[in-house]
Amino acid sequence: MEMDAAPEAQSTPAQLAPPPPTPAKPDRWSLLEERFGRRQFLLKTGWGCFWVFLGGWLLSNLRYLFPNVLYEAKLSFKAGRPEDYPLGLSEKWKKTQRVWIIRGPEGFYAFWARCTHLGCTPNWFDAEGRFKCPCHGSNFNKNGDVIAGPAPKPLWRCALALADDGQIVIDKGRLENRPGSREAGEFFLPYKEQA
Amino acid sequence: MSGEPFDAMKWLKKTKAWKSIFRHDFSDTPRTRLLRVFGNVFLHLQPVRVAKDAIRVSYTWGLGGLSFYLFLVLTVSGILLMFYYRPTSALAYQDMKDLSFAVTLGSFLRNIHRWAAHLMVVVVILHMVRVFLTGAYKPPREYNWVVGVFLLVMTLFLSYTGYLLPWDQLALWAVTVGAQMAANSPILGNEGPFRLPFITTANDARFGLIGGTVIGDATLIRFYVLHCIAVPFLFSIFLCVHLWRVRKDSFSKQTGEKVDVWPHLVSREFLAALLATVILFVWSVVMAAPLEAEANLNVTPNPSKAPWYFLGLQELLVYFDPWIAGVVLPTVIIIGLIVIPYVDVNPKGVGYWAKMKWKRAGIIPVWYPEERPFAVSIFMLGVLMWFVLIFIGTFCRGPNWDWYWPWEEWSHRRMTKMTLKNIPNLWGGLLLAAYFALGTPLPQQTKERITARLGPRGPARLFAALHVGLGLVMAAALFVPLLIAPDADYPLRSRYTTIFEALGRSRNAPIVQAMYHAVHAAGPAAGYALIAGFILAVGGLLGWAGMAFGRLKEKMYGELGPIKYAIVIGLLLMMFGVLGKVVLRLLFGIKYLFSLPTFNFNI
Repeated sequence: MEMDAAPEAQSTPAQLAPPPPTPAKPDRWSLLEERFGRRQFLLKTGWGCFWVFLGGWLLSNLRYLFPNVLYEAKLSFKAGRPEDYPLGLSEKWKKTQRVWIIRGPEGFYAFWARCTHLGCTPNWFDAEGRFKCPCHGSNFNKNGDVIAGPAPKPLWRCALALADDGQIVIDKGRLENRPGSREAGEFFLPYKEQA
Repeated sequence: MSGEPFDAMKWLKKTKAWKSIFRHDFSDTPRTRLLRVFGNVFLHLQPVRVAKDAIRVSYTWGLGGLSFYLFLVLTVSGILLMFYYRPTSALAYQDMKDLSFAVTLGSFLRNIHRWAAHLMVVVVILHMVRVFLTGAYKPPREYNWVVGVFLLVMTLFLSYTGYLLPWDQLALWAVTVGAQMAANSPILGNEGPFRLPFITTANDARFGLIGGTVIGDATLIRFYVLHCIAVPFLFSIFLCVHLWRVRKDSFSKQTGEKVDVWPHLVSREFLAALLATVILFVWSVVMAAPLEAEANLNVTPNPSKAPWYFLGLQELLVYFDPWIAGVVLPTVIIIGLIVIPYVDVNPKGVGYWAKMKWKRAGIIPVWYPEERPFAVSIFMLGVLMWFVLIFIGTFCRGPNWDWYWPWEEWSHRRMTKMTLKNIPNLWGGLLLAAYFALGTPLPQQTKERITARLGPRGPARLFAALHVGLGLVMAAALFVPLLIAPDADYPLRSRYTTIFEALGRSRNAPIVQAMYHAVHAAGPAAGYALIAGFILAVGGLLGWAGMAFGRLKEKMYGELGPIKYAIVIGLLLMMFGVLGKVVLRLLFGIKYLFSLPTFNFNI
């Protein structure tokens, strides 16, 4: 308020006399005091604490929305004995486990039946040798590679192994889709029929 | 007692109780007309008197009021439905069946809730278009337009969350797709580009939305709470602000004498609500809300289609990676809508429908919005594009999301021919850079400097050279890799058959088929010649379009200044870019222009 009043008081005599020399600069220390002094410090600290508290409180509610314990179905299952599967693609587990099991001449591999685009379940078309997704038209070949449509990545293959009781165990929790890695190790189960 | 017979009503009106409730009498006098409005908490939302032209039906079509009424209908019918609905995966579908077959009026209420939701989406969109075309978003009403955009987004989000609740196949797969888009959001999604190192399926954006790693009970309760409490709560707050600001910012139309709101406006509102109610009743009696088979997490219906208002988005997802179509484009659309009133500096066209006039462009007669040519054309083009995408998704997509003409019969056994390929990053990056460089302005200062150096015709020539050059660069970046790119998977023949396959599939394209056979007969040389021809033709065409567009750019830059110009031209190029990518995909079978698979970054 004082600052506003000062120039007004000066403007009237300015018409009569030459303008007086500019008013002495306010003391630098008092300016600093006004800006960063105790009063400002306390005010800003107070409001700072308020906003940090409020922000933290709201963000903590965001964390609250991420549960720590999930009650979801197990990701691995036993898919029967290898000799039960003829050569080719089996849709036996698609409806219950969302998995395709493929037996080639060298052994087994398994696809997670979930489109890598937006998570729909593709369908297998035997005549064309393609998986086609009903949601956005992605097509995959028998190796799981994308051959048409918007899917960005090949189909995921699941880890599989033989359990002690001779059944194939398939784990949808361990996935791989990079060429090279996906045909080896735990993602491929070598199996040849005993003659 | 006098001779008069006892009048119960008269007596009642004299009681203290009556007077405590109704503060005034109801005779039709100017005074009570006013008292009715400001003596009533519900009616006082409205002014007491309003300009006659502002309440003409043909000005607003009552769309804002109708949206509000439909929101009320949805609230009431929704509350009633909640009495029978239990949000757990074991019970939800059973409760839907109960509502449909065992509860008196259950199916009717469900129908009315579903159809009112659809109608509300339509009415809200039309309301936005109306506000745009009558310039009602211009100062001082910019902020209310922004609030309106949020209300539109929330309307769509309410529809989306409500979609899961019946727990049928339609619901589940629409939500699967929607939730998976969250997993593709940049940085915070497990499958998105540039995700943070600690993000997994168990803590990304999708996990937060559905409350788990798979859609299940946690998702259902989450969507239930969002749909019934959280979003309506937010919606109501925004609605209060929206309605309040309509009053405080004054109406966009002020002409005509002032008339009393009671009865002139109130009666119109009443009639509009009545009409909407009749439509909803007939609709709900005649048509049942769909309920498909119970949700099955492992089996997807074929084809699987989202509700119609999201089909445009679903169709976009065919052409773009999910992080673009599902996250970036919706965000850009919303931001684009929000900035409209702040970048539109044209003060004309407030308070009346855009003035249209027939005009000739060359030899083609065009219906031309006279006062706001740019704003109206671009906005309406955007709306049109959205509805064309919805049309394609609804009528042109069949099993396996294959393209079927509306008159074609669907077949689950049809072979899918189209094979997609990428343009190498270098070429694709060049194409994208050249495309966005088309937005380069020519500021006055630069123009003067060029004039000084190259003479008076310098700027025009330079500008023409720039645009034709960029057009040629783009055409070359598109067609050269199709010709020579070291793409071992695709032998030369398949490189140029893609376009013919895509076009040749429609049986009524004999010319294309003839070309296809010609190339087959004449060998690769004909193919090379064709591709060279394409470069020249497309380059020339793009250059010509760029030059025509150049005059507009110059004018826009002058009027908007650098910042607003950058925003407008960026949004504009993105809008046409979407169209361009759709064309590239449909005609040339191109999947990505630029792809960094390690980062999930694909354009």
